[in-house]
Amino acid sequence: MSDPIKIRASIKGSEGEVRVLMPHPMETGLRKDPSGRIPPAHFIIQVSLSLNGRSVIEGALGTSVSANPLFAFQLKDVKAGDRVAVSWLDNTGQKGAAEAVFGAS
Amino acid sequence: MNRRIFLELFSKAGAVAPFIGSGLLRPGQALAVDFNRAPFEAKTAADVLRLTGTGGAEATRDIFLKVPEVAENGASVPIEIASNIPGTTRLMVIIDKNPLPLALQFNFGPEAVPRLQTRLRMAESSRLRIVATAAGKHYTVFRDVKVTVGGCGD
Repeated sequence: MSDPIKIRASIKGSEGEVRVLMPHPMETGLRKDPSGRIPPAHFIIQVSLSLNGRSVIEGALGTSVSANPLFAFQLKDVKAGDRVAVSWLDNTGQKGAAEAVFGAS
Repeated sequence: MNRRIFLELFSKAGAVAPFIGSGLLRPGQALAVDFNRAPFEAKTAADVLRLTGTGGAEATRDIFLKVPEVAENGASVPIEIASNIPGTTRLMVIIDKNPLPLALQFNFGPEAVPRLQTRLRMAESSRLRIVATAAGKHYTVFRDVKVTVGGCGD
């Protein structure tokens, strides 16, 4: 199982910024490792963000996203105490999730 | 980021607010990404555009794209994109010369700013295309990025 997601939620003015790091190998299935084998594709295909339980951003990823994907997003009209949740799903069915609460600015 | 562009970006983002409630941006509209994986398996940018129905995207200056002109490490190329087009609901990134060019597609609900930062792999120097979708129309901008050390073999 992968390391836990790192998530940081901060308020800038009325906008909330969410920064997420999702530890994941993001194997393309196309590269050779040092022993000459080709590790099978293993990568995040879906990322979801919700604000107070309501879906606000939904993404689909391919293998061109770097290993340990790092994303930053902005949400509108965020208040201290609002709750943001992030989850991912990979091509093998593994999942990860984390949440954070926006602090007072 | 250049301060002027930064300020422009955020002042324009505020311009979307009047459309909320006018019916142009319907809160509660389905946000699910079209989880059709076929465009992610396409091997050319032309096929990605065809499979996503965005081949006719109109060139625009209203998509902000920040990416290094020369990327030293193709394994991790920082990119920041944002659409200033009112009602933008989707952003897509295509790296023409990668073996599988479609890097990502994100759908944004009305509570989200159509903007993101991430890091991408680039196998070699390539054109990078952004496609934004707003009210069913597609807009595009591209930039050529030179890669010193390719990022798909490590």
